[in-house]
Amino acid sequence: MTGSITVLFFATAREATGRARIDRPVDAVGIAAERLVEELSREYPKLVPILKESRWVLNGDYIRKTHVVLRRGDEFAIHPPYSGG
Amino acid sequence: MSFCDAETSSPFTPRTVEGNRVSNRIGTKPLSVDSAYRELSGSGLGGVVIFVGRVRPDRIPAGRMGSLLYEAHRAPALAAFHRFELAARRRPGVARVVLWHRVGAIRSGEASVIVGVAAPHRAQAFDACRYLIERLKVEAPIWKTARAPRAHRRRLHPRPSAARR
Repeated sequence: MTGSITVLFFATAREATGRARIDRPVDAVGIAAERLVEELSREYPKLVPILKESRWVLNGDYIRKTHVVLRRGDEFAIHPPYSGG
Repeated sequence: MSFCDAETSSPFTPRTVEGNRVSNRIGTKPLSVDSAYRELSGSGLGGVVIFVGRVRPDRIPAGRMGSLLYEAHRAPALAAFHRFELAARRRPGVARVVLWHRVGAIRSGEASVIVGVAAPHRAQAFDACRYLIERLKVEAPIWKTARAPRAHRRRLHPRPSAARR
């Protein structure tokens, strides 16, 4: 059985990837957030400088960038610096 | 193109949380100062402060900017608005709060954000309104991109000078 993680890209991250969202297949064990970001960096080199200043959001909550495992059905978002108002 | 990751245009309906009316909104519809003022009405609330952020027709390398494109991560942004409001309500006198942000393409001169506070006295309302807009600009997951009349665009990065708006 397969499942996936939804990855959301906003603002500069969306422009760097050309995608607003992707669905990433994962196995039942899941994937560490850091590993997923490393893979995204390889696939989208323009994303690398943006990731250095971005916050990570898992299912609507900010997460620290270590020791977090993403599992099937999760929504993971890259938040570049905010500029609302 | 979607400007939020979820529904953006649902009609605004006032809610009540812990006995207080809540007025937080992120959507594509134009913002109305008159509506915000009505939302801030209440007996004994002698001070009403409304901040309106509008899109400026700034010059950018590609010419004069035609509009700003705003986008939001809706659920975390609304959660942030709720946190801001709860914090504002812990301040003396703050009785009513409006936090409205528009998303999508917004032309210069149009409002992108309205922040309003009603309190018994003006100092309470001024202080809380300033507090809310400053937190919103730094902590709410909302982004804007400048759009020139032609296809040239650039990302507007937050800078210390951005607090002037």
